[in-house]
This record gives sequence, C-alpha cells and structure tokens, in this order.
Amino acid sequence: MAGAVPRADGPVFFLRVRGGRIRRRADGGADDARGCRAEAEAQTARQESRRAQAGSEEGGGEEGARARREEEEREEIEEGGVSSKRAQVGAESNPEREESLIEEKERATRQALKLFSAGRRGIALLTFCAFFAGCHSEHNRTGIVVLIESPPDSLDNRFALTASGQRIAELISPGLVTFDAKSRPVPDLALDYQFLDPQTLEFTLRDHLTFHDGTPLTSDDVKATFDGLMDRALGSPKADKLEPVDRIEAPGPSRVVFHLKRPYAPILAELVLPIVPRSRAFAAAAPAQDRAPIGAGPFRFSAQPDEEHIVLTPFEGYYGGKPRIRRLLIRTVRDETTRVLELLKGRADLVIGAVSPPIFPALHAGVRGDLRTDEPRLRILWEPGSAYAYLGLNSRSGPLSDLRVRRAICHALDVQPILKAKFRGLAQPATGMLPPGHWAYSETPGCRRDLALATQLLAEAGYSTARGEREGLKEAPPGRAKRTLHLTLKTSTDRFRKSIALVFQEQLAEAGIEVELRSLEYGTFFNDVRKGNFELFSALWSSGSVIEPDILRWVFSSANIPGPENAFAGLNRTGYRNRRLDELLDRATRVGQDERKVLYAQALALIDSDLPYIPLWHESSPAIVSSRLQDFEPSPQGYLRPLARAREAAP
Amino acid sequence: MRRLAGAPLAIAGSLILVSLFLNLVPGDPVEMMLGEQAPSVDREALRRSVGLDRPWYGQLWLFIRELATGNLRSSLPPFQRKILPQIWAALPNTLLLTFAAMAVAILIAIPLGVAAASRKGTAVDHAAMGIAVAGVALPRFWLGPMLIILFAIKLDWLPVSGADSPRNLILPSVTLGTALAAFLSRITRASMLDTLREEYVTVSRAKGLSPSAVLWKHAFRNALLPIITVLGLEFGALLGGAIVTEKVFAWPGMGTLLLTGIEKRDYNLVRAVVLVFTLSYVAINGLTDLVYTAVDPRVRRQ
Repeated sequence: MAGAVPRADGPVFFLRVRGGRIRRRADGGADDARGCRAEAEAQTARQESRRAQAGSEEGGGEEGARARREEEEREEIEEGGVSSKRAQVGAESNPEREESLIEEKERATRQALKLFSAGRRGIALLTFCAFFAGCHSEHNRTGIVVLIESPPDSLDNRFALTASGQRIAELISPGLVTFDAKSRPVPDLALDYQFLDPQTLEFTLRDHLTFHDGTPLTSDDVKATFDGLMDRALGSPKADKLEPVDRIEAPGPSRVVFHLKRPYAPILAELVLPIVPRSRAFAAAAPAQDRAPIGAGPFRFSAQPDEEHIVLTPFEGYYGGKPRIRRLLIRTVRDETTRVLELLKGRADLVIGAVSPPIFPALHAGVRGDLRTDEPRLRILWEPGSAYAYLGLNSRSGPLSDLRVRRAICHALDVQPILKAKFRGLAQPATGMLPPGHWAYSETPGCRRDLALATQLLAEAGYSTARGEREGLKEAPPGRAKRTLHLTLKTSTDRFRKSIALVFQEQLAEAGIEVELRSLEYGTFFNDVRKGNFELFSALWSSGSVIEPDILRWVFSSANIPGPENAFAGLNRTGYRNRRLDELLDRATRVGQDERKVLYAQALALIDSDLPYIPLWHESSPAIVSSRLQDFEPSPQGYLRPLARAREAAP
Repeated sequence: MRRLAGAPLAIAGSLILVSLFLNLVPGDPVEMMLGEQAPSVDREALRRSVGLDRPWYGQLWLFIRELATGNLRSSLPPFQRKILPQIWAALPNTLLLTFAAMAVAILIAIPLGVAAASRKGTAVDHAAMGIAVAGVALPRFWLGPMLIILFAIKLDWLPVSGADSPRNLILPSVTLGTALAAFLSRITRASMLDTLREEYVTVSRAKGLSPSAVLWKHAFRNALLPIITVLGLEFGALLGGAIVTEKVFAWPGMGTLLLTGIEKRDYNLVRAVVLVFTLSYVAINGLTDLVYTAVDPRVRRQ
C-alpha cells in the first residue's frame, strides 16, 4: 500500500473509516477488496500487540498508570467505532451493503443498550439536565467552522510564526507568489514573474487587484510593503530573509522589479510575504494590521470577539472570484478529543492536520454516513504530505560520530510497520528531506532493515551484540573492552510520538543497541536539541519548512551549526560538517532552477551516505471535512487557502 | 484581621515562587516564539526589547511596576499585547464555572450525605458512599469527554464545547463539580453522624418534632460548619481542576489563559494568572470566615 507512493499532483485520495479501519478508495490504486481486508485485519492485530506492548513497557510508577488511564480513555472514545471487530470494507457491492445494514442495526441496538445502562447510572445528571430544560440542538447554522489547535500568534503574515497564524493570514493577505503541490513558486497576486538576469527579478501584477478596504493594489503598495519589511523599525522576524534584496522599483502600476545584491534563487520563496496597503506598510501601522489585517485575499477580516474566535467573510473583490462560503469562523479548540467530538456533533466543518491518525477510528460514526443518503457526514481527504520526520544523530562526538554506528542504526530500523499501524497509511517512507512530489526531489538509496549488516557494522565499530556473538563475528579490537552500545533517544511528551519512539527502542534492541527513552516537555526538548545536548532525537520538520530546497543549506551546511556566534539558532543541530556539501548548497542558491535540481540531487546523495539524519517518513496533513463543505481540495502543505475555491453546501 | 494581614504575604510568596520557577524552565518567550522559523533573527535585541535580559527579580520588579500603572503587557515581542483586558474577559468565565461547579457539588452532596447519615448502615448509605468513591476516582479529563459523548453526541441535548450559551455551562460544571461532590458528601455524612449523636437531637425527637424537622433544622444546621470549611478549602482545588476542564470544554477562562501563557512562555501572563488565582483563593477564605459568623452565633460572639 505504502509502496506505491502517489505523486503530489495525482488524484486526491478519498478515505473512509469503517469498523475502525481505513479503506482507501483510490481512483488509481486497484486494491482488491480481499487483500485490503486481510491487510486491515493484520493491521489491527499488529496494533493491538503494539498497544499491549506499550502498556507493559510503560508499566510501573505513576507515569505508567497515567499512560494506561489515557489509553483507556481513548479506548472509550473509540467505543462507537471499534465495537465491531470485523473488518467491514466498503459498501459498494450489494451483498456487502446488506451485511453492513445488518451490522448497522446490531450496533444501534448495542448502543441503545449501552446508553440505557449509562442513563441509569447517570440519573442524577439527567435530572440536572432536565432541570435546566430547553436541551435541544441548533443545526441550522450558516457558514463554515474551522477548528485549530492553538490561537494564531498574529494575523499579519509579516509577523506570524505559528502554522495556524500563517495559514489564516494567507487567506486574508496573500503574497506575490505561493507554492503549488510540487512546492514550486507559482504566481498568486502576481500574474507572472521572470528573472531578467540572475540579479533582477521582474513581476507583473494581475489586473484590477483590490484591497479589502476598496483601494486598488498597485506596484506602489508592493514596493511599500517590502520597503517596510526591510526597515528595521517594523521589527518583522522575517525581514532577515530579505537580506539579499538590494532595492525594489515600481516602474509601472503593475510592474515591480527586485534588484538583488547577488544571485539568490531562494528569494522567490520569501516573496510569499503578504502585500499590504501602503498605509499599513510601516511600523506605525503595524499594530493596526496585527489586530485587523487588510489584504487582497479571498477572505476579509471581520471580527475577533475573543482569543478563541476569528470571523472572516468572503471578499467580492478577490481576483479568483468571491468565495462560495458565507462566513468563516475559525475557532481554537485545544483538546484533540474535543475537536473530534465537535466534528461528530456536526458543529465543525474542517480540521486540517490537527487530529492524529490513531484517533481516526473515533470518527467512524461521522464517516459512516447518513443511512438514507449514504453520504458520509465526514470525509478524510489528503495529499501525500511534505512534513519530514527524522532521527537526528549527534555527529559531533561520542558513538554517533562514527559513520558505521549511524549506518547500523539506520539498518536496524524499519518504518513500514509504523506507517501501517500508527499512521494508517497517512505517511510515506522518506529517503531524504524532500518528498517524492517535490520539484527538486531525487531518489537516494536510503537503507533497508538488515539486522545482520547492522550487527556487523556495530562489531566493526567495536561494539558487542548478543547476535554478533552468536554468529561469531569479530569482536572489539584488541585493547578495548567489549561493550554494548547504549544510547539515549529524546522525544517530546506528545503521546503519539512517544508511542513511536517505543517501537524504535524495540527495533534497535533487536540489533543489540540499548536505547533509553527520555520524553521532555517541548521547551526543554527544543532547548536540549539546540544546545547539542542529545545523542538521538526524533523530530519533525513541518510541511511549511520543507518547501524551498534551500532548507537543506540551513539544516546541513556547517555554517549553520548552532553556536554562540548565531545565538544557538543555527539549524544544523547534529553538528554535521562536509565541505563539499557546503559548496554544493551554496552554489545551488546562485543558479537557475534546472541547475539547482542537479546540485540538490548531488547534495541529497551526500547527505544520504553520511547520515546526519536518519530519514523516516513524510507525513500528510489530512483534512477532515464535513458534508457542509464541498469542493475542498487539500494541499500537501496543509494550507487553508483551498477554502477560497471550496463551496458551502446549501442547508 | 490577622487573616487579612497574611494575604499580602501569600501574594508575594506566590509571585516570587512563580518567577523563580519560570526562570528555571528552559526556553524563553523569544525562543518559543521564533521556534524554527527565523534562524537569523537577532534574538538578543528581541530579548532586550521585552526586558528578558534582566535577572528574574528584575523581571518581577518590571512586572509589578507595569501592574501598578495598569499597563501590564505580555512578554511576547513585538506587539506585547495588554494582559489586563484578557484577564477581565477570562475571569468571569472561570468564576462562573467554579461557582456553578460548587452549586452542582452542593446539590449532589448534601442530599446524598444527609440521606446516608440518617440511614446509616443501610443500602442507601452504602450506595451513596459508593457513588462518592466513584466520583473521587473519576479523572476530569476522562469524565469530560464521556459526558460529552453521552449528552452532546448520543442524546444530542447539549453543545460539545465553547461558551456561546448558558447550556454550555452544564457539562463543564458537572465535570468539575463531581469530585468535589463526592468529597463533600463524605464530609456531610461524617458531620451529620456526629451531630445526630448529640443530646439536643434526642431531646428534639423526644419533643415530638417530625423526623425531617429534626434532621434539617436541628442536626443539619449544626453540621454545616465543617462543610463550609471544606468548601472554602476546596475552592483552590476547583480552580486547579478548572484548568483541565476548561481545556476539554474549550472554555475561555483563566485556565485556558494559563495554558497559553505556559506554552508560549509568556512570563507576564503566567504571573498575572497566578496572581489572580492567589487573590481569589485569599478572597474565598475571607468569605468563608464571613459565612462562619453568619451561620454560627458562637463565632460572632468571639
């Protein structure tokens, strides 16, 4: 299933959750039903064993007890979804449909019984509710409700650093360019762009662009926006990215020319910065733009009654036409379970990437659909994603400075079972930082699970393993004591990530590597990683980071190793140094796209053979969409922008 | 009066402790804000702009000064939003939730406790105390979603989360009040058993008063003092529990604000929320004393 990685521009896959499992109704993928069912069953079995395993490993102490309670909690929530243990795949053919109807009835009865007993238990509560009376539901609402995990830091994309802030800001105030499904910069407010020479970039704006306040958007606004950004007084954290820009000219009302200090190809990726009216471009108007932003995007900022709610309305002057959504309410719901329950209740229409795959079975009740129309109330849509999960290996010193040990770890891991059981197919194996759909992607060999090879590599590096002894491999060189390899793997406290780390621990143990897991609160974790205080850490580059391939330079060039000179902000946290790679990545910023592609291919191959990171997988940002929202086409990056073309279903 | 003198001490203590802890936690507002997005930004300049270059006591002093002038701002550059409006918006929600939870607790606990005490050793007693144990044992992060599933999804009577209508208050207050109800009903039972043993209860029975008059007028009023004490003390626990409950029900209160503050390492916001929690705790303790005097003439005479 995961072997056939669909291209990013391929068909959008349509997922259905049934009986706790996902069936992929792929337009192209011809899974035959039996195979799918068998796989689904195997998957459940694997998952259950893993669950049991997780329980036993986390057992003991307060921590374990809590983990188990949380496990139980989830079990309960899934109650509706996994009550049927039989894999129930699709309802396309008639016999199966009848079967499903019968099951439907059975389940309804079971639920009614369950409800009855629960009702008896909660009689006091029932009385209480009756006391308040008027307990009824309003389903006749208009507009689309989007749930996000945490409130945006700013609605002005010149300042927004959180994913939620950036995605909402893109709806209000887009930039000159945006990215397509292959992460290529494509014109947005611009009609077209071209490099006149490697240091001069010319944009032509679309005709009749208007801001939300009715004023026309001209090249003067574009120039003012970027002049403002490059002015220190504004204090935008993104201003430094514009350092290669020398000056901006507006030779005509719809022509803008960027003059660069030196050839710098990644500049296009920075021109997603929002275009604001010239009256809002400079520091004095920044707070106003932060509170009530104005842009030329598909949605107009309407109100922010409190920290948790943002109301947007469609903008009739948007170049792509007025969006067919009457009102957009963006609501912060911090608790994942609550987000799922709001979806099930029918009070939310869109959640992107904010429900983790293990919770999907809980959506069963919504995805099962209305019995009369057979239209699912909730759909799960996704595109192969670009977010990049990896293991970072500290190559500065210690055992992991030895390439053989890094290779051994790589050969000891097997991501396939994790992708199937934990991600339910919503992630694709990675061979490098760029996803297969990316324009600069090139295939690298990567490493497959090979325990014999891993053991041999460890033995060569001077570590003993039980397996190595059995097979009589040569032991530690003379003069050095036999020792087993003991490593610490740091993760965040996220329950899902911790459960994956447990699998790594198990897999590495099979190769004779002892791994101690340490899950740390996010700030602590981040701080340790920045300061190089780790051996192994597992983390994720968000989909927003893996767009411009210049990210490779930020992450792997030796110029970006965190240190006092960059206030420990450098992104090359594994301390990896390779002079040839540095040169390749530097050169790739100065040349045209075709040549860049060649250089990045070489760079990816170098990184793959040196393994500062062990590539794991690319995660999708699945969109859970209610039937009230139609024509929503998710993007690999998990943008909200497709809302501009989506349609609100008639009530 | 002596109690009131202790209040400033409690406030100062909590502020100092919180500032110390914030200082110990790795990561600071600037680091958490920038994350991985802006590797080349001048972090030191940003830190200076919000006073993070000072030692913890310097930052605390800055906080007190800003608070005194009513111009308290967040520790997050560059906009440093005002904190007081956020607190004014959140505080009523949290107070509403805690008092509703208390009401739920009292409505459940007192009849349950009195019933258990007056029928000591019977099935009623055992059942009531069984419910009490269950109530204490249920964690809020579990009970909350369970109540939502039952009342909001299956029965479709109530909203899932948010604070748009009065009906939104029901599930969170039940979730928050259950543990207190359980605890309170045990206290009520114990206290009632004590008073029921008193001679004046026997006397009033001998006078020929109806059993319910004896129970509620004579015994229960005398059993009230320990119940009020517990209610006062448990208020702090309710505020703490409100953090979890508010998260589950997306209730826009102080708990939500505190979580946001901690996530973003917004030092000033965390300090301000803790300050408000301390103040309300002190206020409730004062209120408990007042209620004492109203309920018990002996306290009034002292």
